[in-house]
Amino acid sequence: MINLIKLKNNNDVNIVNKINDFQSPNSIYIPIVDNVRANDYVYKNSIINGYVSSISGSITGIKKVLINNELVNAVEITNDFKENAKAKIRKKKVNNKEELIECLKVFKLDFIADKITNIDKINNLVISSIDEENYSMKEFLRLANDYSDILGTIDELTNILGLKESTLATKNTNYNSISNVKSIIGTYPNIKVTLVPDKYMISYKDFLCDYLNIPSSETLVLTTNEVYYIYNALKFKYVDSVLITISGNAIAKSLVINTRLGTSLKEIINELIKITIDDYEVYLNGYIKGRRVSSIDDIIITLDTESIVINQKMSDEVTDCIKCGACERICPCHINVLKCYLNNYSHKRCIGCGLCDYVCPANINLKEIVWRDK
Amino acid sequence: MKTAKTKNLVIQHILLLIPLIIYGIYKNGYLIYEKKLIQPAMILKPLYFVLIGIFIKLVYDLIRYHKIKVDYDYVCLSLLGMIVPYNTNLIIYSIVVIITFIIIKLLSKYIKFNYICLVYIIILGIAYIMHSLTFMTPLDLNYSYNFDFLDILMGRSIGGISSTSLILITFAYIFLVNNYYYKKNIPLFINISYLLLAIVYYAITKNISILLNIEVVFGSVFVSSIPNYSPYRKNNQIFYGIAIGVLSFIIAIFINRIIAIYVATFIASLFLYIEKSNRSSKKSTKLPISK
Repeated sequence: MINLIKLKNNNDVNIVNKINDFQSPNSIYIPIVDNVRANDYVYKNSIINGYVSSISGSITGIKKVLINNELVNAVEITNDFKENAKAKIRKKKVNNKEELIECLKVFKLDFIADKITNIDKINNLVISSIDEENYSMKEFLRLANDYSDILGTIDELTNILGLKESTLATKNTNYNSISNVKSIIGTYPNIKVTLVPDKYMISYKDFLCDYLNIPSSETLVLTTNEVYYIYNALKFKYVDSVLITISGNAIAKSLVINTRLGTSLKEIINELIKITIDDYEVYLNGYIKGRRVSSIDDIIITLDTESIVINQKMSDEVTDCIKCGACERICPCHINVLKCYLNNYSHKRCIGCGLCDYVCPANINLKEIVWRDK
Repeated sequence: MKTAKTKNLVIQHILLLIPLIIYGIYKNGYLIYEKKLIQPAMILKPLYFVLIGIFIKLVYDLIRYHKIKVDYDYVCLSLLGMIVPYNTNLIIYSIVVIITFIIIKLLSKYIKFNYICLVYIIILGIAYIMHSLTFMTPLDLNYSYNFDFLDILMGRSIGGISSTSLILITFAYIFLVNNYYYKKNIPLFINISYLLLAIVYYAITKNISILLNIEVVFGSVFVSSIPNYSPYRKNNQIFYGIAIGVLSFIIAIFINRIIAIYVATFIASLFLYIEKSNRSSKKSTKLPISK
């Protein structure tokens, strides 16, 4: 068993235990393509440059947004609040793995389709309802709120993939609060609930499989949110909303928000979040695992967006490495992080968990070096 | 939520040294003054050595960086002031520390060995040349004592100016062991290997002085485990600890038991060049964990 660590509880952050809806943004942003013009009308669920438009409205401008760590041009679609949908959807029941992959691609869930395609023979299905950091609750709340749809979809996926049973993994600290799941799990005899310890990075595929004692190469691991997206696809619906957690010690109330894809983070914050500290810093997709972004203005919500952490700004001062070796001791992949830093090279085994950064007393951005080539 | 900073670790280390310095002032200041063997101003001599080091580092920081840069040099220079013999001349000490510290900082890129031990050896070498090398205080020279085991534990034995209290060192070690950044394996393996050899030696020769060498405990807990000048991998730390323990024992028998740990640490730390200059390694191609 890989030696994982439990993170300290951050008592200054309490996430409200319910989903807040923000379904009517004034505008959304989609990375630009050549064949769009100002004032073009965009229907809801129409595909632009591989992205699904989550609202209907007119193209009104261009803005730089952050996609995959790069600033790219995006068109601004101003919401007409009519939800006009025109896209034709092929409705065909999914019976096997190949049809499932095809269906996911139709509904622009290629990243899930790739997960399935990359495994030659799927012998195990594990659904992870685990939020890595204390700054996120989106997996837990998705299961708590949409438990019926999630369990039904897991059951359906188990049959589609030709498996005898599947595993729903959740943190042992969370399970007591998912009373609804417990009340109906008995009706799904092929879904086994497994409680995992509250340790950082346990939801990473290899570590989770290692804990469950099943081979990683034969296992498909999906999150509860990914299962919910599949549920939508199986019901012939595009995914137009995602859950994101906005938390941190620089805001008055930490929330899990159900919002439209392409919404600007700035608009969500203006509507729902009150920042209480002027000198703050913003982390995208986790305080430890994620990365710091220079401004909230450029961030738009995509399927990759998991959490936004707004914390009081810490000192940026980087001091000399004291060669304490804490980075190497804490690395779950047993990488000689200090050697990578001293010799300035990245490492293939790095999974970008950010623990080396987190423990470094000299404040050195070690992840930037070790994870650099990923 | 971010974990400890270097500054906090340095401050914690220095705070742990304060009780030992206070005991040093009592033993090598007050008790000697009580017998009217020194001037009142010399009561604080153990503190002067520590303050000289800190002052030199402060001035260096202000001249070079125009601000105070809290790093392990403060701990190193404080430790140096705690391990020197009582009769070290304050002026000579200051001059040696200034010169060596400046040279070490100028060559910092190439310095991987434990420089505290090197400066310590230089100071002892100068004292030896000046025929003033002794670890005995005026009290030890003028009075005869018959110490029992408790006296040894409290720190009445002969050694560095503020480094002889086994009880205080043990408390500090217990505190440091709980610090994630402290290299606890090094002192552990130094003491285990040294003690085992010393017990065997005692069984053969009935010479207890090698066994009751508090300086080894102090040196292992504070000096040998300074993070900048010790190995960072667990296996290397264990090997390093055992090597220092064995070397200390040999030096303690054949040369001097008080300087043994420092000379051993200096010699062992020279081998850090092997650990840290390994620049030929390529990216690992091992992939036990698939993505």
